[in-house]
Amino acid sequence: MTAAGQRTADVDGGARPTGARGAKAASLAYRYGLVVVLVAMLVIFAVLRPAFGTFANALIVLQSVAVVGVVALGVTVSMTTGGFDLSAGACVGAVVMVTALAMVRFNLTGATAIVAGLVTGLLVAGVNALLTVVARVPDLVATLGTMFLFQGLALILTSGQSVSAGMTVDGTPAPGRYTEGFAWLGGGRIGPVPVPVVIFALLAVAVYVLLNHTRWGRALYAIGGNAEAARLAGIRVARYRALAYVVSGLCAAVAGIMLSARLGRGDVGAGDPYLLQSVAAALIGFAVLGANRPNALGTVVGALFIGVMINGMTMLNAPYYAQTFVQGALLVGALVVSYTLTPGRGERSLR
Amino acid sequence: MTEPAIAVSGLSKTYGATRALDGVTLDVRPGEIAGLIGTNGAGKSTLIKVLSGATRPSAGTLTLGGRRFAPGSPLDAQAAGVQTVHQNIDDGVVFGTTVAENLTLDSIARSGGWFTTRRSIVTRARSIAEAARLSLPLDAPVETLPASARQQIVLARALSRQARLLILDEPTSTLSTREADALAVKVREAAASGVAVLYVSHRLAEIESLCDRVIVLRDGRVSRTFTAPLTRAAIVGAMLGEFAAPATALATASATATEAATPGDRGAVVLTATGIRIAPGREAFDLEVREGEVLGVTGLVGAGKTELLEQLGGARPLVSGELRLDGAPYRPGDPHAAIAAGVAFAAEERAAQAIVPGWSVRAHVSLPMLRAHSRGGLLHRRSEAAAARRVTDRFGVRGSGTEAPIETLSGGNQQKVVVGRWLEAAPRVLLLDEPFRGVDVGARADIGRVVREAAGMAVVVASSDPQEIVELADRVLVLHDGTPTGELAVAEATAERLAALMSGTGTSATMPAAEAPTGGAA
Repeated sequence: MTAAGQRTADVDGGARPTGARGAKAASLAYRYGLVVVLVAMLVIFAVLRPAFGTFANALIVLQSVAVVGVVALGVTVSMTTGGFDLSAGACVGAVVMVTALAMVRFNLTGATAIVAGLVTGLLVAGVNALLTVVARVPDLVATLGTMFLFQGLALILTSGQSVSAGMTVDGTPAPGRYTEGFAWLGGGRIGPVPVPVVIFALLAVAVYVLLNHTRWGRALYAIGGNAEAARLAGIRVARYRALAYVVSGLCAAVAGIMLSARLGRGDVGAGDPYLLQSVAAALIGFAVLGANRPNALGTVVGALFIGVMINGMTMLNAPYYAQTFVQGALLVGALVVSYTLTPGRGERSLR
Repeated sequence: MTEPAIAVSGLSKTYGATRALDGVTLDVRPGEIAGLIGTNGAGKSTLIKVLSGATRPSAGTLTLGGRRFAPGSPLDAQAAGVQTVHQNIDDGVVFGTTVAENLTLDSIARSGGWFTTRRSIVTRARSIAEAARLSLPLDAPVETLPASARQQIVLARALSRQARLLILDEPTSTLSTREADALAVKVREAAASGVAVLYVSHRLAEIESLCDRVIVLRDGRVSRTFTAPLTRAAIVGAMLGEFAAPATALATASATATEAATPGDRGAVVLTATGIRIAPGREAFDLEVREGEVLGVTGLVGAGKTELLEQLGGARPLVSGELRLDGAPYRPGDPHAAIAAGVAFAAEERAAQAIVPGWSVRAHVSLPMLRAHSRGGLLHRRSEAAAARRVTDRFGVRGSGTEAPIETLSGGNQQKVVVGRWLEAAPRVLLLDEPFRGVDVGARADIGRVVREAAGMAVVVASSDPQEIVELADRVLVLHDGTPTGELAVAEATAERLAALMSGTGTSATMPAAEAPTGGAA
């Protein structure tokens, strides 16, 4: 850009009118719109179906979003640097299969299965990091490739079959089964609260602190905002981009472990639905409290949004096959909020 | 005398309070090659935008071939016969298509019917190529061709439209010398066929060999017009304009004047460079900067100032030679390593290289030193805010506090923040690349004052404006085309001398004399 051009932008910036009533309303809608809609939805469902507004049902909603929420937290971190982890769902699926195989086929302990699951997550992250950081493949297509790789790998490992206790391997029954300790991760409770909800809550706080209160989070956001400025400010961009995928892979692995524990078996394609729902949760999160960027709090709200809507619709006897459409409508609405009502959008288009 | 192909009269263009063009009057006759030259911000880009229909003037008239010319869009301008070849060659070709398709892009876009046949494209492309004497394989994909060939395609296409005025904007910036020579042949051919050519370039050698006349823009006005034979030093002198004599500039810079007058008792050598080069194949040179000293680096656009500073700051691999920092070997692999070693680099392009959109002043200040602002793994906001306040206080940043998004500040105040944050790192060496670009006079004075006052470090400041250099520096290194052409104490840096060195016409005999007082090697 020439100096003259730059000056133009500066001058326009100074002359832009601020505080117009319409802009203020848009800004309010932008910051609180989604939260208001969520609260309104809660109230409406509770009025229409008294069973909705109970503590027990709240726990059911939370449990139903725990796996999606954990995947979404990872996807959120991958998005902070401007990346995008499309392999998260495949990673969940692969971890489900690996943990099931470890316990059922190889008769290993629950702890070993957990380690194997986490290592699988790191493996996915490693491939993503290699492709995007070293081979410089664009994030979207690189993680799309990884998605296929690990979906396929999970199928190869199990010869395309589900893994459950008592299955036959080479004519003989498989030796192991899900350990009780492992199953507790999916079905257990701490007090009244399901274990997956506790894990989700802990990870949500951890990711929130990572992104908002540590220098690593600041560096991730800096790279997403302006990678060259971050590099010149001394941030080692490649390492942080790899770190983002590692966090994403680990989150997906944790989600996979939780899902495997809840299912009690390794279902082929168990992880498939989680990609789109978690991406939707993270994207809806952009529109929460005017963040306009991937953020932990927004992602939690986004996941709850999806969970509440599905739970409420089920209670209202809405057909299950309408759920995908409603999720789509929700996502589109949030995207419009994010991209259209953003204060200072004109500013951005000037750049 | 023939009637001008294009006549510009009293042309002004204002953006808000800024006058990019201020009463420009010039003309170009058919068959003439007129050079247009000026420093950054002189108004060249704006003039091209007006002529090519990309923007409308605030005042003044254009006459094209004797008729009033007021293009509403680039297409209008093209239809009227003003053809512009823009600096970025690859904006002008479509990758994934052939030479023939690129040559006939206009007719494809205009769509005479629903279908275009391969044969009709090739026939038309052949006639365009013949008219432009273009010898490229018509079926070759454009992305397999070198930049020079792509440019010839764009040029041939421009000439295939009825061209009265051909504007070439920095056409050689990505070409080798040989390719530039080939382009010059094409440009002369175009002119010989009666087209008026406006040739914009930073390369004086090209201007000198190609142009019949040179129009120098400065601060939005035509500063001077030269007719061939051209002398480079005079052209550069007109580009730079008059500037305050170094002595007076330093006297007004208060306390620093006496210090600068006695270069002998400056601090120890901080940064030493031996055998470094601006680019591979260019002359190797040495450099040293002392504590408390400000070394200015000047030269025209493309002279290699940024390349030098980026190598010193770890933002670009060292081409050759070696660096020492306080006597110890210093070889930064990336900016992170440079900062860790104590070398801070504030890059040239504020928006592209320093600003993170939406971030507060505080976050911009702390970004290079996040570790120092962490307590037990967590960022300490109060520590960040204190650092941001120190920077805003020290530089007199005017804005609505350290939590405000940096975009809400004026350009000058933004610059204070992104330059000033490096002082928080207490570096041994501070590298500033064009720190005053797009910055108002007040901000410039504030930044200059703090940089001069900052103790305990060596400063290298690059600028293509000698006025900025003589205000700030003790010593000036002049680059021309990737090679140092001289090194002067600031007291000796007269306008004539700098113009001669910057244009590459300074005799080498001046160099040893210039070196002697400072003891620096060039």
